[in-house]
Order: sequence, then structure tokens, then C-alpha cells
Amino acid sequence: MKKARSILEVDTTGQTTFTLREFCEHGEVHAEFVIKLVNYGVINPIDAGDAHRWSFDLPALARLRKAQRLQRDLRINLPGLAMSLELLDDVTELRREVERLNHMLAQLTRE
Amino acid sequence: MDFKDYYAALGVSETSPPEEIKKSYRKLARKYHPDISKEADAEAKFKDVGEAYEVLKDPEKRAEYDQIRKYGARSDGSFEPPPEWRSASDFGGGGYTEADAGQFSDFFESIFGGAGRGAGQPGGQGFRHHVRMRGEDVHARLALFLEEAYSGCEKQVRFNVTEADAQGRLVGRLKTLNVKIPAGMTSGQHIRLKGQGSPGIGGGSPGDLFIEVELAPHPLFAVNGRDLTMTLPITASEAALGASIKVPALGSTVNLKVPKGATSGQKLRLKGKGLQGKHPGDQIVVLQVTLPTHHSEKAETLYQQLAEEEQSFNPRSHLSS
Repeated sequence: MKKARSILEVDTTGQTTFTLREFCEHGEVHAEFVIKLVNYGVINPIDAGDAHRWSFDLPALARLRKAQRLQRDLRINLPGLAMSLELLDDVTELRREVERLNHMLAQLTRE
Repeated sequence: MDFKDYYAALGVSETSPPEEIKKSYRKLARKYHPDISKEADAEAKFKDVGEAYEVLKDPEKRAEYDQIRKYGARSDGSFEPPPEWRSASDFGGGGYTEADAGQFSDFFESIFGGAGRGAGQPGGQGFRHHVRMRGEDVHARLALFLEEAYSGCEKQVRFNVTEADAQGRLVGRLKTLNVKIPAGMTSGQHIRLKGQGSPGIGGGSPGDLFIEVELAPHPLFAVNGRDLTMTLPITASEAALGASIKVPALGSTVNLKVPKGATSGQKLRLKGKGLQGKHPGDQIVVLQVTLPTHHSEKAETLYQQLAEEEQSFNPRSHLSS
């Protein structure tokens, strides 16, 4: 086994973009699925317009994979998937908010 | 190997009809789906539920499992399949579990594993050398302390990759990388390391490594995007007269000017003292006027004078209608 000694530098974050083709390859999905997700507003390409000019960022890939897992595991149709993802976003944001508020409350009450 | 009680995993009994099993599976799959549940062992539970359903939904597999179940576990809960056991259903994956079939337990493998499947071979098949395939992407999570995220850091990341061995079979291997994490990463942000995932097969290009960053809770600061919030206790006199107070910030100490006439709950903003980035965040300081629990006689006298001096102040004016 090759020993990893060198240190890998990460290129500036947020710069990674994928073409539709690369996006499908990394998400292991067909382009049709991505197009449907875009049409339902589940995923937004960086530049709107023709599908062959679309590019996607890293958060979009994470969302695509999540959408794909939910659809595969729970057999959700597209409108249901779109709504589930929105609700899950809300839940994530609310959980973070609760965490922040609990953190503040603990400091205020010194618990 | 441990015996797996598939009926218990789905919360059903041996006599439950298929509809009940399906219903229970659907409910538990939603409950424990790793994208939905925040329970620490959700992923393991989700896998157990999926594996249990894979067996119990299929009348043939269920009958075989019932047989095995009678044969039963040893007193210590461990299990060995009966000698000469051979499943009639040559498991090739199917339905929703297809992609995850390689992740089923050894118990499942010992009972339903088909002849062509060897242990530890995701996908089950050996790939011939002339097959050219891109390596799998690997997705990993990385927890950072807030201080590490603020200043950037070097981290060792360990993850599993899949590669072909000399016989062309797919095997897992633990890979270790030292990665320099740039300053200013925050929860939920992703990093891509091109070509650091599983190696390609037959000359195919390697997959990528994707890392999702998660910030560990900090004792002082709560993180909101790039902003950091902290509570700062001050005395009544500091609030009334104003003060310059040394406040901890990430990577330094800052002098905070508390204005004259400050109150509890007032927020003061230290511009640009949050997490760094294209749009650096701020450090938000919430003031909390704090009083000692015991006062000297002299202090009590002074408080009395103060009360008389400020008798027009009614902090409860909003409570009376």
C-alpha cells in the first residue's frame, strides 16, 4: 500500500462546477432525472437556460444524491420528492436554530 | 456471526400477513432513513430494516428464514447456518436494495448468499481486465473544531475505497490522506478532491473524494452561517457608565466598547470577526447585566440611593395594561 505522506491542497472552495454530463456521472443518475428535478425547482443550475449549458455546484450535487436516495429508498414521486426536500431543509434549519437558541439559553442561565 | 431476528427488526410477528410486514417496513424506512432521521444509529437501523424486508417480503425467502429461525441461535446469540445449508433463492439483488446488496450482514450472506458471491465483494461479480470503468466517488464527513475551521488546518482523512485485485475482483481498502482544509469552512460545506476516490478499473479514471464539513459545538460561540454569537456578562456599573472590555474572539482578543446606558440583551457587532470568506461573518456579542448575589451594607445603601434617584424607571411598564 502506498503511504500517503504528501498534503493535498484544496483548491478554493465554491469554485467546483459540473456540466450536466459530469453531474449525472457523479450523481449516478440519468439526465432525464436531473432535468425533472430542475423543472420541479428541486435543484437549480448556476446558469438557467438551455440544458446543455447548465452547470451545477457542489451543494447541488449533495442535493441530487439526497433526492436520489429518497426516491430509491422510499419510492417518492417527483412532487412528493420536491416537497420532502423542502421540508427537510426547513427541519435542518430549525434544528440549527434550536441548537443556537439552546446554546444562548445555556449561557444566559449558566447551565 | 450474530443471529438476526428479522421479525423483531420490523416489529412484526411470525404470523403477520405480508400487508402488515410491508406497512411496517414502509413506516420504519421513513423513520430511520439517514436523510431524515437524526438518531445516531439511524443508518444501521435503516440497513437492518431493509435487510429484514428483503427476506420477509419474499415468500420463498421468508419460508427459508422461518426454517433457519427454528434451528435458531446459540445461547450466546451467535449463529452458524445448519451444515449443508443451501438456499433455493440464488440471491442476485432486486428491488430497492439492489445497490446496497453488498452491505447486507454476514448472517444474510450465510443464508441467502448465492454461489457466485464471495464475502466482501460489493456487486458480487469479478470484473475482467478489459472492462474499463471510472472509479467510484467517495463521500465522507469531517468534523472540525471552530478554531480549526477559522484558521484552516491540516487533517488526516480515512475512508474506504473499492479497487480491483489481481483477479479482477472488487475489494475494499482503507485509504488515508492528509488534506489541507482552507480557512473559513462552515457546516454543510463541501470540498472536492479530484481523483482521490476509488481507483478506476482497467485504465478508467479514478473517482473523486467529496468531504462534507461539520462543525463541532463550541463552548463560547454559536455559529449562524458565518456569524458567531456569544453572551457577555457585564456588571451593572459597566452597563450604566460604559466600559471597554476584553472579549475573546477566534484567534485573538478584541477590545469591545460597551456604550454608556447599555442593557441586558443588547447586541453589539464586531465586524468581520466571524468566519472568514468572500463575505466574512461578524461576531455578535449579546450583553447580559449580571449582579452579585451578596451586597455589602455600603452597597445596599448605595442601591437605596440609586432606587430613589431612578424611581421613575419602571421595567415592568409593558406588563400593566
